[in-house]
Parts: sequence; structure tokens; C-alpha cells
Amino acid sequence: MLQNPLLCIAAVGTMAVSLTIVAFFGVLFFNFEELTTSWSRRIQIKTYLEKVPEEQALKDWRQQIESYPEVDSVLYVSREEAFERFRKRLGQNSDLLQGMNPSILPASLEIGLKEGYRHRKGVEAVVAKLKRNPHFSDMRFGREWLERFDSFVMLLKFSAAILGGFLLFATIFIVANTIKLTLYARREELEVMSLVGGTPAFIKMPYVIEGAAEGFLGGFLALAASYLIFSLFLEKSLVSLLLTMGVGQVSFLPPPFQLGLLVAGTALGILGSMTSLRKFVRIRYQ
Amino acid sequence: MIRICNLSKSYQKDSAALCDINLAIGKGEFVYVTGPSGAGKSTLLRMLFCGEKPNRGQILINGRNVTRMRTSQIPYLRRQLGVVFQDFKLIKNRTLLENVSFPLEVQGKKRHEVSKKVFQALKMVGLENHLKKYPLEISGGEQQRAAIARALVVDPMVLLADEPTGNLDDQTTQEIMELFKIANARGTTVLMATHNQELIRRHPRRVIVLRQGRVVEDFMP
Repeated sequence: MLQNPLLCIAAVGTMAVSLTIVAFFGVLFFNFEELTTSWSRRIQIKTYLEKVPEEQALKDWRQQIESYPEVDSVLYVSREEAFERFRKRLGQNSDLLQGMNPSILPASLEIGLKEGYRHRKGVEAVVAKLKRNPHFSDMRFGREWLERFDSFVMLLKFSAAILGGFLLFATIFIVANTIKLTLYARREELEVMSLVGGTPAFIKMPYVIEGAAEGFLGGFLALAASYLIFSLFLEKSLVSLLLTMGVGQVSFLPPPFQLGLLVAGTALGILGSMTSLRKFVRIRYQ
Repeated sequence: MIRICNLSKSYQKDSAALCDINLAIGKGEFVYVTGPSGAGKSTLLRMLFCGEKPNRGQILINGRNVTRMRTSQIPYLRRQLGVVFQDFKLIKNRTLLENVSFPLEVQGKKRHEVSKKVFQALKMVGLENHLKKYPLEISGGEQQRAAIARALVVDPMVLLADEPTGNLDDQTTQEIMELFKIANARGTTVLMATHNQELIRRHPRRVIVLRQGRVVEDFMP
């Protein structure tokens, strides 16, 4: 690296720019994923009860529903509680309820689902089980909203996969070609090394190590640059965007993925070097 | 030392670079391989250090059949040969010391042994005061001397030189030839490809003449 500082700077710089773009994509992806997760927490099944249950029956129903693998929580909302909620929702118009009896509203069970089941299929599976109990008369789970949410999540995942795949391919392509160019510039050096009796492993090892070092450095710079730009510019704009959708804060890449970026940079450097070296060192033995 | 049997090489169907070459070169000989451009001189030398594979025939160096050698064994053969090229082939971003050290480092020699041998080799070619210089900081003649030092530092059994004086002036050519003669006097077999007839006339040795890939003459002047 010290013998060809300009080449190394070019290689590290190119890798850093490519990986910075990947890091930004990651930041956007994780924050939008957090958005969809926060939306999904609103997914719940509300089942209205025909009449106020006895304590033991309620206890049995709760135990039964909590035993479903999809279910995270079961909350009993009494008529009085439902009436109070309704009164609060009316706000300034709550005086419309003056003189009314809480018994006009039915009691209900609010069933929250575990994270892996907060989608249409998960909801439908629980609803099918609940329907077996004749005491559960009316089930509401926002079918239309759920379908739109599922479609949105599917679209997000599909877009992320396509875009992410393209970005990954582009990064690999750019890094591989950058390394190939740096090795092409040093092909005479490689030729001489093989002519004086260097084995392929002896010749390749320093360049593979150099590729790994460049990849690691590129990954580190990408991490630093993306964090800097995130904290100085992106964080505020992302917060204002996501706040309107109900997400209170945005976050940078989680630590495992920060480490993953460093590892990816190093791996790309090693793979790029090894692939290019196979071509430049091999032809000496025709 | 070197035995070449029925050696042939062609790059295209209609033209043969080498055609049915049969030669024997003894230990300690100094041999010129001469002929017009395209006669096959460089091709022959490349075959000897396994830079190319022949289409037919065999080459034996010190009893080893190098044409049938596994690719993994080629580096070990090259460590016993010294090769000098017309364009010197020094690594430009390494000092003369590093360039000449490299063949010994490749063999895993210890640092103090490398330093001693490299200094001796550079002293032999008159470059002991230029250890820290880079190839582009010295003249063409000095670069070729450094290339010869690199070739001789491993005490090769055979020294192959492909037009080593092609880019040099007359005086420098004479200086380079003296170095080859010193190496030969020490027991190294020297095989030099050249089209410089004046050189052959001034320093007469065995001459093998190639024409259109064939040996047309093999004589001692």
C-alpha cells in the first residue's frame, strides 16, 4: 500500500462511496421497517360479547385465547370502560351522552397479536378459532385496513429486495473492477514476481491482505461518512417525514449491521483481489 | 545441462514459431541464439523458463523434463534460472536493493543472508552505491546491470538473456557482456538471444542460428 499510495486511495475511496450508498439504503430500510412495525402494533382483534360474562367464564376464555400461539395479550373491556372511552373520544360533544346508560355498549375482548402474526393470515387464523366460541358474536379487525397494510408491506419488501439486490450487485461490480484496475496497473510487478520463482500463493498473499485492508478501511469510512451525514442532515428530515406517520424517532444502522458493513467491505476486498489475481497470476504459466 | 528434443510451437495453423528444434547445451557453455526478427529466439528462451508450453517435443534441464512439469513445480525451476530481458523488467516502485532481494525472499532466505548476497551481487555489477535508488532514477545501462544482479543473486545454473543489450549503447553493451562472461567463468551456463552480429564477432562463442523457427546453423567460430 505504501508503494502505491495513490492507487490505494483510489481503491479505498471508491469502496467507501459504494458502501456509503449501501449504508444509506440500510438506514432508510431499517427506519421504514420500524414504521411498519409500529403500525402493525395497532393490529388487534376486537370481539364483542353478547352479555357480560361471569368471572370464571371470562377467566377461562382469557386462558384459552392466551394459549393460542398467535396471541400476545388479551384485554377485557367492560361496558363501563367502553362507555368511558366513547365519552373521551367524543371530546367536546361528550354531553350528548348525558343521561345514557353504559349498558348501551357491549363488553369486549381486545386481542393483541405477537409480532410474527400481525398480518392478514395471522389475524384470520385467530378469528377462525374465536368463531368456534358462540359467545363471541361480533369480531372486528379492520379487514380493509389490514389488506392495504399487507399490500404496503409486501410492496416495501419487494422494492427493498429489488433495489437492495441491484445496489449489492452494483457495489460488488464496482469494487471488483476497482481492484482489478489497481492490479492491472501492477501487472508488471506480478509478472516479475512469477518470473523470479514466486509461487502463486506467495505472490497473491500480500495483495489479498491489501485488498482486505482496503475493504475494511472503505467500510469504516463508509460507516463514518454515513453516520456523519445521517446525524447532520438526514436525521432531521427523516424524523419530520416519519413523525407524520406515527414514528417518534429515527435511528442509525443497528450495531450488528454496522459490523456487517465492515465485514462486507473486508470480504469484498478479499474476494475482489482473489478473483482478479487468478487472472493476472495464472496467465504466467501458459 | 539442457537438451531440447523435437521442440515445436505454433501460434497459428499456418505459421510455426519453432519447428522441430533439437539442441544440446553443456554445463558451463556460453551460447548465442541468433537470427532475424521472428526467427523464434525469444520463443525458445520462453520455453526454457516455462513461460510458454510447446505444442510438441521436450526440454530437459539438468535431467528434468520441464515440458511435462506440473504448474506447481514451475516456480521451483525458475528459482534455479536467471532471466534477463531487453526491457530490464525491474519493479519500478521498489529500490534496487528490494528488486535484487526479491528472488531470495521468494526462496525464504533469512534476512542477513539476503542482505549479504544482494550487496555482493550489486557490487559485482558496480551498483553497490545505488542500493536505495529506484529504477527510474538510474540509466538504462545501470538498470540492466541491476537486472543481471537480480538474475545472478540466486547463483543460477542457467542464465537466460533475451536481447539484453538491445536498448543499450555500444559502451554499455561491452560492460554488460563483461558481466555475462564473469558469470560464465564462475560456472553458469549462459544462453543469450541476440541479433547483434557485431557483439558475436567481438565476443566469439558457440552460435546457434535460427531461421523461420528452425536451426539452420550450430557452430563454434
